[in-house]
Amino acid sequence: MRTTTVMLCLGICVSGLAHASNRIFDRSVEADPKGTVEISNVAGRIDVTGYDGKEVQVHGELGEGVERVDVDSSRGITTVKVIVPSHTFHSASADLRIRVPRDSELEISGVSADVSETDVQGGLQLKTVSGDVKADIFKGTSEIKTVSGDIVLRGRADGAQLHVTSISGGIRLDHGSADIEGSTVSGDLHMRVDATHSVRVRTTSGDVRIEGKLISGGTIEAESVSGDVNVRAAPDGGYEYELSSFSGDITNCMGANAERVSKYGPGKRLNGTEGTSSGARIRVKTMSGDVELCDKN
Amino acid sequence: MSRKEGTISSLRELPRDIPPARDLWPAIQARLTEESRAPTAADTRVRNRHLRMRFIAAAAMIAMLAVGIWIGRSGLPLVGQRARPVLTASTANPGTEQGAVQTAYTMDPKYLRDRAELVKSLEGQLATLPPQTRTKVMASLATIQKSKQDLEAALGHDPSNALLQELLVNTYQDEMRVLTAVQEAGTAGKGI
Repeated sequence: MRTTTVMLCLGICVSGLAHASNRIFDRSVEADPKGTVEISNVAGRIDVTGYDGKEVQVHGELGEGVERVDVDSSRGITTVKVIVPSHTFHSASADLRIRVPRDSELEISGVSADVSETDVQGGLQLKTVSGDVKADIFKGTSEIKTVSGDIVLRGRADGAQLHVTSISGGIRLDHGSADIEGSTVSGDLHMRVDATHSVRVRTTSGDVRIEGKLISGGTIEAESVSGDVNVRAAPDGGYEYELSSFSGDITNCMGANAERVSKYGPGKRLNGTEGTSSGARIRVKTMSGDVELCDKN
Repeated sequence: MSRKEGTISSLRELPRDIPPARDLWPAIQARLTEESRAPTAADTRVRNRHLRMRFIAAAAMIAMLAVGIWIGRSGLPLVGQRARPVLTASTANPGTEQGAVQTAYTMDPKYLRDRAELVKSLEGQLATLPPQTRTKVMASLATIQKSKQDLEAALGHDPSNALLQELLVNTYQDEMRVLTAVQEAGTAGKGI
């Protein structure tokens, strides 16, 4: 009991010292309201918020291993760069809270840093290795990449073009619209789309779930090697569907029966039309993953 | 309605027996006897052709059997044999991997060159990643390798399956995407 108390006190002291050693950094620079903001940070956090102002405001808590933070702005490009010496024995982690003009284009690069973006309405380019990403998606082109970090996105406007990829991280999108492309290897992919023109997703072993409404002329294409694919799309008028799997099962809630591709070998397919044909189309392909289609959300 | 002379209105009006103009059997018997005694040159040619066809068929059977055994031994793990390792720098190009389906995609020289370079630098790049990420990336690469093997095995049974061909090509593309992402991730910290 006594040993535990001593250890607890020691732990509190060490964490207190570590926290006390964090340096606070604050800096603001004038920025183009429709310019580009580039942020890079190896580890820690990067939280960016859009606001109605003309400055890039940086607040940071810097670990011992961080040398400095460079903030520069010229010719429409503002850079925020956490500088870490090549050899450091201390934590090279920095927690950044940054406010940028709402219409800025944002480019963020991290390694293990978690990234969060809210209310930035220009294009996004967010890349991190093992950090998680949480972002709002507005109009324009957004490109989000992680290696093992999870990605959580929320659509905030129509007309976005979204490219989102991860290797082992999961991808989740709520209120997606316009053109969406997503791929993972082993991470699961879950998309809720409001009214989309085009959704194209692919996984190797991750499961896919797409829910939402497909507008006239829109397409949903999903492909997986061994992951299961579940599409629940309400027909806004109607759609054609083509589902095929080499060794997985194909089921649906419309009462249609999948047919065997060959009398002697494996392979199933289910083709048909739900409602009236409006040019909308759903295509799903798997090797061994199961496929499920339903016209009800 | 009067019946015209020579016309037949019912089957019953046909005669029961019609004898042939001449007896055909003696000629047929003579021909058969003659053929059984001395085979003609044409007969020899036909017989030789049949023999040759049988020989070719037997050779084809043996060749197919040999190819089947070779594919089985090289493409599938033997009992007690360890599975192929996850992608490493020493892994050969997919076009030369044993049991690999020689798709046009995998035989493209630029693809092979790029992939070889990425695989060569893979171990070094993986070492720069955080340990947990490294483990996840290795697992993902293993998943891709397994998917490639499964697709290739399925294509071995059904080589003309368009669905499997498409999935295999896309899996090769996924592998390149992962290798490129690892390359970028490995250099990400250096640029910061």
